[in-house]
Parts: sequence; structure tokens; C-alpha cells
Amino acid sequence: MNKKSLYTIYIFFKINTKRVFRDKTALFFTIGFPLIFLFVFGSLNSGTNDLSFKVAVLNQSQTSFSKDFVSELEGGDVFKVNQDVSDLDSAKEKMSHSEIDATIVLPDSFGSVAPGEKYPSGQIKVIYTQNNQQSASALVSLLDAQLKGINAGFVDTQVPFTVAGEQLNENSLSSFDYSFAGLLGFSIIGMGIFGPINVFPELKKMGILRRLSTTPIKVWQYFMATMAGQAAVGLISMSIMFAVALSIFNLHMVGNWFELAAFLIIGIITILGIGLALGGWAKNERQVAPLANIIVFPMMFLSGTFFPRFLMPEWLQTVSSFLPLTPIIDGIRLITTEGRHFIDILPQLGLIGAWIVVIYIIAFRVFRWE
Amino acid sequence: MTNMIEVRDLKKRYGDKQAVDGVSFSVKKGEIFGILGPNGAGKTTTLEMMETLRPIDSGTVIIDGVDVAKNPQKIKYMIGVQPQSPAFQDKTKLKEVIELFAAAYGEKVDVMKFLRDVDLEEKADSYYESLSGGQKQRLSITTALVHGPKVFFLDEPTTGLDPQARRHLWELIEDVRKRGISVIMTTHYMDEAEVLCDRIAVMDNGKIVAIDTPKNLIKQLLGRGFKKDQHVEQANLEDVFIDLTGKGLRDHS
Repeated sequence: MNKKSLYTIYIFFKINTKRVFRDKTALFFTIGFPLIFLFVFGSLNSGTNDLSFKVAVLNQSQTSFSKDFVSELEGGDVFKVNQDVSDLDSAKEKMSHSEIDATIVLPDSFGSVAPGEKYPSGQIKVIYTQNNQQSASALVSLLDAQLKGINAGFVDTQVPFTVAGEQLNENSLSSFDYSFAGLLGFSIIGMGIFGPINVFPELKKMGILRRLSTTPIKVWQYFMATMAGQAAVGLISMSIMFAVALSIFNLHMVGNWFELAAFLIIGIITILGIGLALGGWAKNERQVAPLANIIVFPMMFLSGTFFPRFLMPEWLQTVSSFLPLTPIIDGIRLITTEGRHFIDILPQLGLIGAWIVVIYIIAFRVFRWE
Repeated sequence: MTNMIEVRDLKKRYGDKQAVDGVSFSVKKGEIFGILGPNGAGKTTTLEMMETLRPIDSGTVIIDGVDVAKNPQKIKYMIGVQPQSPAFQDKTKLKEVIELFAAAYGEKVDVMKFLRDVDLEEKADSYYESLSGGQKQRLSITTALVHGPKVFFLDEPTTGLDPQARRHLWELIEDVRKRGISVIMTTHYMDEAEVLCDRIAVMDNGKIVAIDTPKNLIKQLLGRGFKKDQHVEQANLEDVFIDLTGKGLRDHS
């Protein structure tokens, strides 16, 4: 590789990267689109950390005690009280749809002071269906604890045995931490595959690549310039994703930033090779779209972009571990959340290396200028 | 004058159609050579074989002593190509288009000089897509010359341009020839060929049916006893058009 070849690559990289930032559609798809997914997944995952119950409350009692009790339930974070339910029948229907977890019934005598007693009393009924056993039993013990607190205010009781929970804040992975690596994988696919398969057929249709082929520029020079451009734009896009993930969704990043950046570049280049092969081969958009879908969608779902691979049956985990995107997502996760170094993820790097060789041999073979 | 280009018995077959069927001609240094013919005559295929874009079935093309089939990479440094409908990437400034193509040859050039050559210097910072048809053609011409080629190929350069833009382009092509560059062009316009070309090859069905200077070709036709309806006019409609609308270019929008 001499100086002139490098100059060719550099100028193509420079001007084509500038073009990305002038093109609002390209900017949306490289930066905006993954960010939207980040926000969607971030909000979905952050909600699951808090325990809450969707309940209906049927208060059949007129006492002020019961009214206070209900408004306390509604005021807290733990119970999401469904206000549409007014009788047991509609409550049953909603429970059977799992729209609500259980129904809390306060009978008509609830909270009244029985003759000869000094304080109010009553029994809460928790009604639930078969499909909600777990949350209902949690709900019962929760209400029980709440009533104990109230009881203590009326009767002085001694409690010899108690239990107290303590939360550890050490390095535990939230489900968001886990899915963030998958989101980065998704954004790598978006840029590396959907970018070239849209751009190349267009360039061919307009004869732009053909014109270039009358100059001495070589395919590998053109590829190198494209790779450098994708790596640069990809790193910018992913830096923004990291900034959002760290500041809004409390991502735990414990790894080395330089190793992460280097690994992301390797990942971008690997997946870009698939896009270059598809886009470089295709004569037009119609030819490439079905093939791209056959390759992209299985890879997207099996490599752990949207849900973790450990949920899959064993054999599928084995098969999917050999897909090119899997070691990339695993590697990102190991570096980010576990602070692993390159030396620890050699199996992933080895598999990626093998894929790079295979993918780029194909991409060079099938490339055509028109 | 020595021959810059030697084409000998060039052939190309697509399926069962003999697109180019034994074409031979030579072009001198600094000559403007026109290839004329109806659509499908094989003009573009002939050019594309000479430009290294299509594999040659048989025959040879030698440009300044270099065999096109044997040394295509070397040929690419020696030729400039203006395709039939030139296009560049959008969102690219004109000066970047020049920079990009010079870089494709591994060269760094004075970008403004090349834009000035085709009267586009004030458009240097405009995007390619904002140009008019004539401006795009001019940009394409200067882009094809960034590396100082010895031969310049133009495929129907003035198709779709208004009379002013066409005349302007003729001047540019004349300028290219004055620099000692051999020009090979195809066209459907006879007036263009008559004004511009030193020699013409007329192609039909993949073969050259006549090859000579425009004057000689007309003389030969008259010698065969051809007679046109006699009404000698001192001007034609295009003269009227140019007289009414002037020669000035209209694309400075």
C-alpha cells in the first residue's frame, strides 16, 4: 500500500463522511433511529424493577376508617387501583384477562366499631383467579403487613421475631444493562447492512459507480474508505447512545473505554462486510431486499439483540452462538458490564476474525461496479 | 502526425447479437473523431471496450502504444471518460467532486483551476444536485480531465441541452483538443458532427459503413448524383433561435 493509495482512501473517507452529516435521512437512520429504540427499551426495562399490583378495590363499607384505608391504597406506589371496576362481575372479567392482578373487597362491616369494643375491626378479602396465584399471595402478605402496622396502633403487642431486608448495590446487572449490548448490535446492523443495501443499488442505477470504475480506483480502496467512514459515524452514533444510557437509564459501565471503542470498530467492520457483499452484488433494490431479510432477521433475533439468548432452548443457543453478530454482542456485554479485557474475550475475537475473512472474501468476489 | 489510437477488427457479441462486428479505425493526436449511427448501431459498446469497461471478444485497441485488453489499469490513467448520462453523488460540493476524482488517480490538484476551465468557479461550494443539465455536463467534462489524459471519450455529450448550452459545450470540446488531447465522441446531431469533428465514422449494425472528413463524405454523396430539393436558404431555424435569444448561457440560476 503506497502513499497515493492511502491518499485516495483518505479523500473518499473524508468527503463521504461529510456527506452523511449533510443528509438528514441518513442522520436519522444512523443516529436517531437507534436512539428511539434505546428510549423504548430503556423505559420498558426500567419499569420492571419496581413491584406494583394492578388491583380493583370494592369498598362495600361506609365507615370513615374504610374510606381512609382505600385512599391510602390509592395514594401509594405499590397499588395501581383500577377505577373502572364497580362490581364483582366486571372485576372477575378483568381478572380473567389479567388486566388486574386481584380484587380487594372491603365488606360492609369493615372498619366499624363492634358493640363492646374500643377499636374498629374487619377482614379484607382478596379475590384472585388461578392465573394470578403468585401476585395474589404476595398481595395478601403485603396487606397483612400493612394491617399489622395499623393493629399496632390500637393494641400494644410484642414481636419477638422480625425480618428486615437489605439491598446490596454492588455491581448487579439490571435488565437494561443486559439489553443495551443488544441495542448496540441492532444499531450496528442498521448502519452496516441497511446502509449499503440502500446506497449501492442507487449508486449503480445512476451510473456513479460505473463512472468511478473508469478511474484507477480499486475495489479494496473503495471498501477501506467505506469502512473507515462507517467506523467513524458508528462511533459517534454509539457515543450518543452511551451518553443517553449512562445519564438517563443508569447503565453500569465498568469496562475500559478504549477497548470498547476498538471492539465496536471491529464489530462495525464485520457487519458492514455483509452489507458490502449484498449491496456490492445487487444490481437493484428489488434483488437485494429479500436476501437481506433472510440474513438480517434470523441474525437479529437469534444473536440476542432484543431478548437474551439464555432464554432459548439449548440447541438453538449452540447454533446461534456461531452467527457473526453473537460474539459481537457478547463481547460488548462482557466489556461493558463485566469489565473484561481483550485477553478474556479471545474466543469471541477469534470467531469474529474468522467471519471477517469469510465475509470479505465473498464481498470482494461478488462486487460489481454496475 | 502519429496515431494516438489504433482500433483493429474489434468484435463484441451479446447472446446472438453481434453488437460490434469488426470495427477498425485510427485517431490522430489532437483530433476530434466522431462516431455516428442510429441507436443500437454499436457506438456505445465500441466506446466501452476502448474504455476498459467491457471485455473485448476479439480484435485490439492500442492507445499510445498500450494494449487496452492487456493493460487496462495503465489505460485508465491515460483516458478520460464522459459517460452518456453523467451523475455524481448528491450532497457533494463541486470542489469535492473534483477532489474526489483527482484522488481516485492518487492526485491532488488545483480544484479551482478545473472549475474555472468550465466556468463553474462560483459554484464551487454548491451541491451537485443544484446544477442545471448543462452545468452538470461541464462539471463532468472537467472531472474527466483532472489527471491530464491523452484521450477523451464523450458519449452523446449534448443530448437534452438547449442550443446555448450545446454551443458552449462545443467550445469546451474545442479547447480540450487544443491541449493536444484526442477526442472521440458519439452524437445523434449531424450539425454537431459537422461543426466539431475532423473525421467521422458512420456505424450501422456493428459495422463502420463510411469513414472520412464531413466535407469528403458530403462530396462523395453529391458525386453519386444525390440532389436535395433546391431551395438554398441563408439561415435555418436554429439561427433564428440564437439570433432571438442570444448566445449567452442560461444556467446561471
